[in-house]
Amino acid sequence: MNKRTNRIFSWSEVPTSSRMIIISSAIIFIFLTPILGEGYESSWSIADSGIESDLLTATADSDGIVWVFGEGGIILNSPDMQTWESSESPTTSDLWTSDSNDNIVVAAGSAGTVVLKSAESNTWTSYTTPTATDLLGVAITGEGVVVAVGENGAIWILENGNWLDRTFGLSIDFNDVDFEGERGLIAADEGRIFGSEDGGLNWEERNTPEGLTDSTIISIDYYLANRGYAITSEGQILKSTQEGLTTAVGYNWLLVEIESEDRNTTLQRQISSMEVLGTTKFIVAGPSGYVALSKDGGNIINPQLLPVPNDFSINDIAMRDAFQGVIIGEEGTILWTENAGEDLAVGFEIIDLSQFNEFVDFSKDNLWQGLKATVKIVGFGILLGFFIGVTLAMCKTAPTTLKQIIEGNLGRALYFFWVFIPVYSIGGKVLGNLSSGLFFALIITLISWLVSRKYDNRVIAEAFAENRQSSGYQIPEKYRINLIRTLGVSILVGLPFSEFAMRGGIVKFWQSISDFRSLDLTGIEYIFAPVGDPDAFFNFLLGIALIYLGILFITFKGQFKKHEFSYGFKLNPWGIRPLASIATLYTDFFRNTPLIVQFMFVHFGLQIGKHIQGAGTDLFTELYLLSGGADLFIEYGLYAADAPTIISKTHEFIFSDRAFLSAIFALGLNSGAYQCETIRGAIAAIPSGQMEAGRSIGLTYMGTMNQVVLPQAIRICIPPLGNEMVNLVLNSSLAMVIAYTELTRQGKLIIAITFQIFWTWGMVMVSYFVVTWTLALILRWLEDKTRIPGLGISGGA
Amino acid sequence: MSEVVLSIADLEKMYVGGVHAVRGVSFDVNQGESVAIIGSSGSGKSTVLRCINRLIEPTAGVVKLGGEQINTPYADVNDIRSRIGMVFQSFELFAHLRVLENITLGLRKVRGMSVEDANEIAHQVLGRVDMLDRIHAYPGNLSGGQMQRVAIARALAMKPEVILFDEPTSALDPELIGSVLQTIRGLADEGMTMVIVTHEINFARDVADRIIYMDEGLVVEEGPSSIIQNPKTERMQKFLSSINEEH
Repeated sequence: MNKRTNRIFSWSEVPTSSRMIIISSAIIFIFLTPILGEGYESSWSIADSGIESDLLTATADSDGIVWVFGEGGIILNSPDMQTWESSESPTTSDLWTSDSNDNIVVAAGSAGTVVLKSAESNTWTSYTTPTATDLLGVAITGEGVVVAVGENGAIWILENGNWLDRTFGLSIDFNDVDFEGERGLIAADEGRIFGSEDGGLNWEERNTPEGLTDSTIISIDYYLANRGYAITSEGQILKSTQEGLTTAVGYNWLLVEIESEDRNTTLQRQISSMEVLGTTKFIVAGPSGYVALSKDGGNIINPQLLPVPNDFSINDIAMRDAFQGVIIGEEGTILWTENAGEDLAVGFEIIDLSQFNEFVDFSKDNLWQGLKATVKIVGFGILLGFFIGVTLAMCKTAPTTLKQIIEGNLGRALYFFWVFIPVYSIGGKVLGNLSSGLFFALIITLISWLVSRKYDNRVIAEAFAENRQSSGYQIPEKYRINLIRTLGVSILVGLPFSEFAMRGGIVKFWQSISDFRSLDLTGIEYIFAPVGDPDAFFNFLLGIALIYLGILFITFKGQFKKHEFSYGFKLNPWGIRPLASIATLYTDFFRNTPLIVQFMFVHFGLQIGKHIQGAGTDLFTELYLLSGGADLFIEYGLYAADAPTIISKTHEFIFSDRAFLSAIFALGLNSGAYQCETIRGAIAAIPSGQMEAGRSIGLTYMGTMNQVVLPQAIRICIPPLGNEMVNLVLNSSLAMVIAYTELTRQGKLIIAITFQIFWTWGMVMVSYFVVTWTLALILRWLEDKTRIPGLGISGGA
Repeated sequence: MSEVVLSIADLEKMYVGGVHAVRGVSFDVNQGESVAIIGSSGSGKSTVLRCINRLIEPTAGVVKLGGEQINTPYADVNDIRSRIGMVFQSFELFAHLRVLENITLGLRKVRGMSVEDANEIAHQVLGRVDMLDRIHAYPGNLSGGQMQRVAIARALAMKPEVILFDEPTSALDPELIGSVLQTIRGLADEGMTMVIVTHEINFARDVADRIIYMDEGLVVEEGPSSIIQNPKTERMQKFLSSINEEH
């Protein structure tokens, strides 16, 4: 028993070899999918400090040990910035500021507390200033003397355990101090900077830019003896350089214009700390998780990614050298880096294109894009080509001789020429534009069709019963000849009603000839006349056709038969098949010109892509506007809210690229011409009895074609159609000449970048092979699947 | 006198090449009558048959079905054909459709029936031709006799007013002819109106109520089936004797 079901696809029926092929194709496609993940990540890592208290200040000593101080006098140190150990602290005061040199590490903080440790010793000693003022900055001079500054202009020097008060009577807060040898700088409120040339004993005010009186300079730093930087808590950067041989660093300060902040002079961020790493390199940090690096003295400042939340409060930065350092902040957080915190580029590698794997890695995205683009035009091209092919093949095989057309449609032809065209033309002229005339004519056609339909059904039955023939469009036999002859005259002459005039065949022909003459060509040059004046050429062809028809109609004698001339020469004017002629014209044109020229003609000459893009965009704009209000798409399962997205996505998919549209048309139109012949051959191979059988059960010609002939013909022509489709895929590479970035063009682009010619074209070929081979396998499978026992010689099965 | 279903008057067919295949043929077919058209090859009998359902447009003459003239440009040719069944010499089953779909295609697409209704009718007619057991087979998997019986069922399914048989057994092996003839005889007994073009003289004699002998596009002799025993015209005598020699 034949137990085959009608399932479209059943895995179990796929032969083993086909399964292997399907699976391996799928694997190839999966591996072609690009692996994304390029981006940046922070180069700051979190270290385990082991405590929860806020950390307030940090410094790195000359041995590379980093010291961190915090609230309640916490002291931590680490030789590698990753593992931290706590030291016994001699104080419980908060420590806010710190410094170190070869010999000593020092920190200072609330209530005048200073803690100090020498390099040889492991224990910390605590000192307190006599006034117990909060200390905000501490630094060590070249002589190894500790200088601390603080609130209300306090300046204290600690030398050999004794305090020396160098306060000079200013009541503003001093926020930071730094020494380079004996030269010192103090950062103060009101945008003021003070300097000392004698190890901190005597201080004088330095020149700062105007307009900083509301700013608080919170950090100041020398870089060796040739650069000084200071920063305000509002993010203004001050810079001082040596000027000539006379003026040393630190005397004159200028605001840095920050290029990366639209040439502002402020970062517009809260800043709590700065660390200078080189002549032009420094890091700034602020309480709101802000860390930024400048490598050009503040022109461009790059914020850095941090592995902590954005509201993380940073209190200080300490750098061991230009690259290694730590950030410290609230709740015992320590972050460390080994490349000055610069973001790590992930996935952006320097590619060695002479390594095949890296070359493939580099070029596969391009190839994949190209493959998708190719498949896109091929898919649409096949559909368009098949549609055109079937249509033309049916035109070519249809029994549509003039005789059959006129015999079967005399009523319609008369209606068309005597009612439709005049209504269209006159209506258009009267109403002002032709499309309303067309609308008018269509309405009249619809009404008359409805009336005649009703009339037909009733009257035909009566007419048959009474054995007479009259109903609807029926024209009595005796009037037919005269009507046809009149029609002939009207086709030749047209409608000669002054402003409503429509040109007939003779007029059209004559006018086209005079148009051609006005091109002013000579001799053989006239073969280019169709290009010079396409309208005239169209009128020329139409004129010839109408004259032919007109003469035929005028000489009509009631018989659609051959004309016989002497010497046995016969002419069958009624045997002309207009549809087939048009189809032949089409196939001849497309099969006798090169595809690459067709591509360029369609895209650059006719600009089909541009026109379709324009029309499509108009349509989709209308749809888009409509979809906002009306629930247009709900019946298709779309919600109104999604409709705009779907519409714009569809629009983007189809109409975003002119070259894409042109490529589809060039491929489809060309392929249609070839597919037409293939399908025509297959239709011709179906026994004519099949058509007779279909007609004899009452199917119409088109019904028989669709239900009986084409289903068999298409099965027969699957192998040659497969040929044509594979050809179409390969021909799609010509779309590169109209700048459509399909596979071949991507190959050229890859070569332009990589210069790897052998590999690139090799990979392009492999990609094409994958597409065409898959297509061929699908067609083979389709052929197998649709094979009908007894239809054609199929070599078994 | 029973009702005339099919009436042909002065039928002429001139092919485009100039061959005058039918030169004025007239006959009537009554309700329930089966008429056999016999004649040698090229005598125009198949052309007459095809002119009846306008697979070939007659050059002149009148064909009436149920009293209506059907060979005018205004008659709905598809409707007419659906009322006239036709069985072909080479079966012409739709090769890509299974037996059941072959039968139901016309019902669904021409009569606009639902699949269920069409299937029901298909089962009835397939039962009449004894083909119910191969309902899901493709025509390619059937024997010639089975195919012809399916073709008869396909014609029957449309409930035609008349069925035309165009040499239904010529393409069959002798041992397969029997079942097809059986089926046609059955239809005759049921009162189906039929026009049969055939070479099977014996079958024509058995089944046909009336015999029409055609030669060179003309009806040479017409009469009840008994004329085969006693042909009046010389030409028919010749024809019959040549047939008998063959057998």
